[in-house]
Amino acid sequence: MLLRSERRWYHLATTYALLLLGLLVVLVPFLFMLSTSFKPQQYTFEYPPSLWPAEFTLRNYVQALQRDQFYLYFLNSLLVAVATTTATVFISSLLAFAFARLEFAGKNALFYVLLVGLMIPPVMLIIPQFLVAKRLALLNTFPGLIVVYIAMNLSLQTFLLRGFFESIPTDLEDAVRIDGGSRWTIFRHVVLPLSRPGLATVAIFTFLYSWDEFPWAHVAMKEATRRTLPVAIALFQNQHLTQWGQVFAASIVALIPVVAVFILFQRHFIRGIARSGLKG
Amino acid sequence: MIKNRWLTGFGLLLALLLLMALAACGGQPPADEVEQPTEEPAVEEPVDEEPVDEEPVDEEPEAEAATVTYWHTMSDAEVEALDQVIAMFQEAHPNITVETTRFAYDDFKSALLTGLAGDEGPDTARLDIIWVPEFAELGALVALDEAMPNFQSIADNTFPGPLATNFWQGSYYGLPQDTNTQVLLWNGEVFGEAGVEAPPATLEEMQQVACDLSEGEEQYGYALGGTYFWAPAPVFYSMGGQVVDEAITTADGYINGPDSVAAFEMLAEMYEQGCISPNLLGGGIGTSDGHATGLYAMITDGPWMVDIYANDYPDFDVQFAPVPAGPGGSTSSVVGGQDVVLFEGAENQEAALAWIEFLMSEEAQVTMAQSGVIPTLRTVRESADLPDYFGVFLEQLETAQARVPHPAWGDMDTAINNAFQRMLAGEQTAQEALDQAAEEINALLQ
Amino acid sequence: MAEATSHVQQTSKQRQELSLPARAQRRLSRQGVAYLFLLPGFLIFGLFVIYPMLYSLRISFYDWNVIDAARSTFVGLDNYRTFVNDPIFQRAVLNTVSYAAITVPAQIVFALVAAILLDQPLRGRTFFRVAYYLPVITSWVIVTLIFEFLFNSQAGFINYLLRDVLRLVDARVRWLADPILVMVPINLLGIWKGVGWSMVILLAALQAIPDEFMEAAAVDGATPWQRLRHVVLPLLRPTLVFLLVVLVIGGLNVYISGLLLTDGGQPQGRSHFILTLMYAETFDRLNFGGGAAISYFLTALVFVVSVVQLRLLRRRVEY
Repeated sequence: MLLRSERRWYHLATTYALLLLGLLVVLVPFLFMLSTSFKPQQYTFEYPPSLWPAEFTLRNYVQALQRDQFYLYFLNSLLVAVATTTATVFISSLLAFAFARLEFAGKNALFYVLLVGLMIPPVMLIIPQFLVAKRLALLNTFPGLIVVYIAMNLSLQTFLLRGFFESIPTDLEDAVRIDGGSRWTIFRHVVLPLSRPGLATVAIFTFLYSWDEFPWAHVAMKEATRRTLPVAIALFQNQHLTQWGQVFAASIVALIPVVAVFILFQRHFIRGIARSGLKG
Repeated sequence: MIKNRWLTGFGLLLALLLLMALAACGGQPPADEVEQPTEEPAVEEPVDEEPVDEEPVDEEPEAEAATVTYWHTMSDAEVEALDQVIAMFQEAHPNITVETTRFAYDDFKSALLTGLAGDEGPDTARLDIIWVPEFAELGALVALDEAMPNFQSIADNTFPGPLATNFWQGSYYGLPQDTNTQVLLWNGEVFGEAGVEAPPATLEEMQQVACDLSEGEEQYGYALGGTYFWAPAPVFYSMGGQVVDEAITTADGYINGPDSVAAFEMLAEMYEQGCISPNLLGGGIGTSDGHATGLYAMITDGPWMVDIYANDYPDFDVQFAPVPAGPGGSTSSVVGGQDVVLFEGAENQEAALAWIEFLMSEEAQVTMAQSGVIPTLRTVRESADLPDYFGVFLEQLETAQARVPHPAWGDMDTAINNAFQRMLAGEQTAQEALDQAAEEINALLQ
Repeated sequence: MAEATSHVQQTSKQRQELSLPARAQRRLSRQGVAYLFLLPGFLIFGLFVIYPMLYSLRISFYDWNVIDAARSTFVGLDNYRTFVNDPIFQRAVLNTVSYAAITVPAQIVFALVAAILLDQPLRGRTFFRVAYYLPVITSWVIVTLIFEFLFNSQAGFINYLLRDVLRLVDARVRWLADPILVMVPINLLGIWKGVGWSMVILLAALQAIPDEFMEAAAVDGATPWQRLRHVVLPLLRPTLVFLLVVLVIGGLNVYISGLLLTDGGQPQGRSHFILTLMYAETFDRLNFGGGAAISYFLTALVFVVSVVQLRLLRRRVEY
């Protein structure tokens, strides 16, 4: 800790002053979103702008939540995000384990191939992905969304987990191997249990990604009852008038699970990053 | 302890997953009750290679059950009316199910194109009139005048302007499902406070009134929604402006002709004098919000505004008037609207045509009209069932003009848009900017 | 953990009794096992990333007809040639590169300050950490809408602050109407949204520095600034290099904020970024070949920049 030995009062005061300033900058935009979500449309652009609604209304929330089947979109998003997260954690730890612990021909080449995934802009893949998904009869299905989300996440998450797995001492593993334990045993009963912070980090990143993804969900899911939240919220942007209050109300509701997941995992998150490939 | 919390978190997620799975299996019925016609369980979506007839569940046991898909960008109010139309249609055709999908206007093209690329596009759709030639040129649309036996009788009952938007290279690729135009909307309160009794009748008066009603950054006489062609189009056409010649061969002498230049000169001058709100350049207060709150005394907009104001500004009493007349003494405006089209990939053309025919029926058009959509059938226009405020729009439609029906219209629009931007930024005079636009448009017409 | 290990030992003993394969066979199967671990991942990755990538490489050499691929015509490098000579594209590259050049250092500096401040025993540390991370976990669409709202030229909070509270400007600034001014909210948004992410990574790296290093330096009488300069920064170097590379990749891929705040490159296509231009070419103008070519240009740019950064900076780490 760089600043630990500083115990003088003005040091502490400066620290808090700076932190609070930062907090203000971070939170003010969110506060405007929150307050606008409680304002009727005619006060959206009142001048001077005020954080406290002159007329307080819940109408935006009521309308946003009643619109089409908001609850269904919410559940769809949750289903897709949870399934994507679970599957990505599993598949990318398999990959990372192979790259961190196993020897095989073409290891470096394959790893570089995987890293290519970090460099391509995802939007350019959409049309070919659509053609593949169609061939596999995955369009308009949840697995169709999930499998593409997994594919788009594998590079980063494998990279991250490989670093994490490499930081695990090999002693225990050697012991298991001497006992004749298989690779799978080592993976399943040694590496995974010791990697919870890393897995939590992967889980958070993947959850955030799949919760927010728009372009693929937009083209791959035509069935109205199976749409996800970002697609539903995009429909709030009326061609002729933006209902800011409703858009923000829906956004706030959409933000709740994300914040919940983050708070739940945040302690492991920092530890996970400390030992993962992300530290450099 | 830490480990426990992690486990709790994971357990929680698992529980949610389970809940989800249950919801996905058992949760359909309430959904169907809400919007029955639009929402069919997606299991029924035929997957290309699979034979269609393994259609299941709540289909009626009749023979030749067919599904028609229909994509659109309708508003909430329109969707409600559409649901009624579908119910009526299904009463007449119990064997045909209509599955609708709604898109945001801005994302509609990308969704359509991706779908078409994968042979997973809709059977039918409601397209913005300016997209029809583009999709026809791509080879995505079926020529309705060949495929539809009673095309001529329906077409004969529509107005020529909207019908013409379906014409590309010798064939009609759609039918005009609805039409609209922009008229002048004026804020009676703002006018009253300034002692102006009536809306301007001529463009000259309009410029005068707009400047009289402008006060620095606190109030503007007139506001446009943007710089893309649709926004200045009412003033442009009323002034006598033209984009290209009738045969669509050249823009020279049209977009840079004297009337077109005069129209843009007027707007650029008003902008310079602070009589037009800067919001047209982006990032300001939208025309609807500004107009209803009195920031903008006048705007030009379409019939959908009635519904928008009723919902979001219930206290605002909006006034309509024809677009002020140009020096030639006549008013004009721009034709908007949507065409219903049939896609090449439609699986059951007969059923799809039945649906298109129904959308063009009098009962469907009258029903849709209740949500603010102007019908395209002559016989319906004469009926008394239309909302009162349609009057001014119908009158305006008599003189309103269509934008250039050409696949490259999008690029022409961009050329004019850029020219307008250069004038507003003071980089070029109206004449210079439009000369350049004419050159760019001519290149597109080659 | 103890229970897990004992369980491991049990199962492994059972396994041992079951089979005793020959050595050669074992080596083969060991490699085979590795491929089994790779199989699910690479199956998905190959189908949904590698194949689509190659497919769009092919598209980039064609005047592509999206409806009927057979009607496409091969045009060689024409798509690439066309956009390289296009002033709108050149401007988009400039906008994109300056976005990365501005937002990346700013994110790292602010993140470093925040991480150092939070790397001490403080009351409310977790709260600050979570709050600073809030922009990171909020979707790009939502934060962009918030910024669009705040930077509204006629009634936005920022103009109110500048004109009516601080009195720094006389007239309201038209943030989103000007191709250069619009870069202010876009770049600020990029920094605002990204600081939390870099902060968490730097915090993790700081916490990994053994306390003895600091204490030794403190005993030597080094000021906090000297300690930062001579102890902390050198130790953070690998992390900073990593952040730099990753943030630059992210910066060059700026997309949603540009798309929404500039209304697709307005005015006159001067506020495009590489990806917003690619999207407009592809889905507005139906120029799929051109869009694919632009994507490949961006991919190449990202690749070259990353490799150059790693080469230059890694080498300097050596001595």
